[in-house]
Amino acid sequence: MDWEHLDLNPRIIAAVKKANFRSAKDILCVSGPDLQRLTHLSKSDVQRLHCAVAAAVRKSPAVTALQLMKGECPALEAGHRLSFACPVLDRLMRGGLPLRGITELAGESAAGKTQFCLQLCLSVQYPQENGGLSSGAVYICTEDSFPIKRLRQLITQQPRLRPDLPSSLISSIRFSDNIYIEHTADLESLQACVSQRVPVLLKRGLVRLVVVDSVAALFRSEFQADEAIKRSRHLLTFSSTLHRLSHCYGAPVLCVNQVTDVVDGPNPGRCDYGLVESKVLPALGIAWANQVMVRLMLRRLEGCVESDERSSAVRKLEVVFAPHLPRADCLCGVWEEGVRGIPDDGLTLQPQSC
Amino acid sequence: MQRTVPSLPLAPSVKVKLLHAGFQLATDLTDMSPLQLCKAAGISQEEAVEVLQMLRCDTQSHQERAATESITALDLLHKEQAQGSIVTFSSRLDDVLGGGVPVGKTTEICGAPGIGKTQLCMQLAVDVQIPVCFGGLGGKALYIDTEGSFVVQRVADMAEAAVKHCTLLAEDTEQKQALEELTVEKVLSSFFLVRCHDYVELLAEVYLLPDFLAEHPEVRLVIIDSIAFPFRHDFEDLSQRTRLLNGLAQQLIQIATQHSVAVVLSNHMTTRLLNGQSKLVPSLGESWGHTATQRLILHWEGSKRLASLYKSPSQMEATIQYQITVQGFRDAPDKLRPTVELCAVSSLSGNHSKRPRMEDQS
Repeated sequence: MDWEHLDLNPRIIAAVKKANFRSAKDILCVSGPDLQRLTHLSKSDVQRLHCAVAAAVRKSPAVTALQLMKGECPALEAGHRLSFACPVLDRLMRGGLPLRGITELAGESAAGKTQFCLQLCLSVQYPQENGGLSSGAVYICTEDSFPIKRLRQLITQQPRLRPDLPSSLISSIRFSDNIYIEHTADLESLQACVSQRVPVLLKRGLVRLVVVDSVAALFRSEFQADEAIKRSRHLLTFSSTLHRLSHCYGAPVLCVNQVTDVVDGPNPGRCDYGLVESKVLPALGIAWANQVMVRLMLRRLEGCVESDERSSAVRKLEVVFAPHLPRADCLCGVWEEGVRGIPDDGLTLQPQSC
Repeated sequence: MQRTVPSLPLAPSVKVKLLHAGFQLATDLTDMSPLQLCKAAGISQEEAVEVLQMLRCDTQSHQERAATESITALDLLHKEQAQGSIVTFSSRLDDVLGGGVPVGKTTEICGAPGIGKTQLCMQLAVDVQIPVCFGGLGGKALYIDTEGSFVVQRVADMAEAAVKHCTLLAEDTEQKQALEELTVEKVLSSFFLVRCHDYVELLAEVYLLPDFLAEHPEVRLVIIDSIAFPFRHDFEDLSQRTRLLNGLAQQLIQIATQHSVAVVLSNHMTTRLLNGQSKLVPSLGESWGHTATQRLILHWEGSKRLASLYKSPSQMEATIQYQITVQGFRDAPDKLRPTVELCAVSSLSGNHSKRPRMEDQS
């Protein structure tokens, strides 16, 4: 840190340099009396030093909520979200995925989580006025290989999913070129991918959506039952990297999570987020849950739903917690063109096998 | 009272030299000239001049200080009552807290993810702005967001609900006049937000707080949401974390008392193994638990949301049920009291700390 630029008496700056302080962090992490002892400065000098260094660290002054509402600080509040490409789902999420923060989608296998991810990878490529972010997506696979055939099918069916958009716009976007696929087989490569390769893509503006499918796979497999603390530490490092990237570049991060069975009924030592009737809970415990801003759960229900003479198994997408959303859910189905939410007045729900 | 040399605000090396030279009390130094002091103690000329100048202004204010040094407990009681508290719009929680979140103290809100900590913090930031004639403090709020979970849309919803609530309550002309100025825009403009991306930025922000509060004396509430997030990772050395947290806690308590603000901190929960059973406890360790004046723990019981006052120097431990609605943090609907709306109304139209406790049976 360049001490000369601080608004301080040169005597104080000389004392700081002599005591070998390199960065603002060093000064701020040392208490007043300790700093007095190390630099031989008086109490008031040390106070002035702390204030000057703190002012240099602070990136921007306080803003009012009114300024945020009016959109005067796009770095803090973008004013728009990443759309799901379905009006019913967007209504549930009050616009779509928030641009900053980690969103988690938890559910059993075959619930349809990957379908949501693929749909968002396509939706992000549209311009902002159509709910996208005019950029690509990076898809990190930790379990199965990337479903390339399904992606191709979704791309060809885009006009069907988004009839409100002009076909010239849809055909002008080269969807598969803008989706970067990473396969990571173990934790080390996952951490390397997220801390080295993903920031490069974000910095160049090539991507503005990060999908991790799934978070649970590697963390559950590489740690034994008694290595909970070690697992916690790795999880926190991983999530803090994602969190930092998301806030720095305004890129939504979607993490897919698995679920664990609830075998012993309500347990005061385990948080169940008010999901009393649920037989499953999102995996990875409270350490991961504390890092997540929006938690969604996807459940497969019995019964079918029809649309244009095609049928699909019914799923329920539930908002478990989010700072700006109430506990709500909506039904949805997965079709050839993608995931579509079912409005309340909706299509016929038939409790038959399909 | 005699001041000893070690208690003077001087650089430690100077103090050591003065003590070595045999100067124990401040009065030993007052009659010396700079040159004499320089020779006797072995300090430089500038340091000697500084010492004597500091002593001169010190003795002048000593007289004034002696008069205000001690304060009776009765004065303190009046002062505390006059400072007031911030209502939460949940009358049950306000009762448990003794009127609301107290000004001049630090309150910690712990809870699992999704229980409503951020909602309660945002609600308090809106409630601090309720005008004095409605039973509020008419002040502004500073919200330090370390998690990035602040969404301005939600605050706008809560502000709208609060303004509507006050509109229903307005009876006399003073209240109606205050109501004209109380709009959603005014509430949003009295709400300051700062984003801290890591613990260094948080430390910096707390060092800058006294200046900020001096520039904005109407601020009555400082919220840090959450204090746990920046300290959960990046720390190889846990003892450094404890040291930093303790330093932060001391600074915050000092700020709360000196500037008459309420400081609210939110904390995460973590699992701890006790006797083979896992339990949910507030994070950041045992020593952190001692630092806040009051501790509120929010938790689930089945599908109910409960708030327990876990630690307080003046209030009894109690648990109440609450809910989070579109309007914000509210009492859970009570089957026995269909007129829940009216009860919330009556709790706002008087200042809790001034009314005797017996009347609060509504």
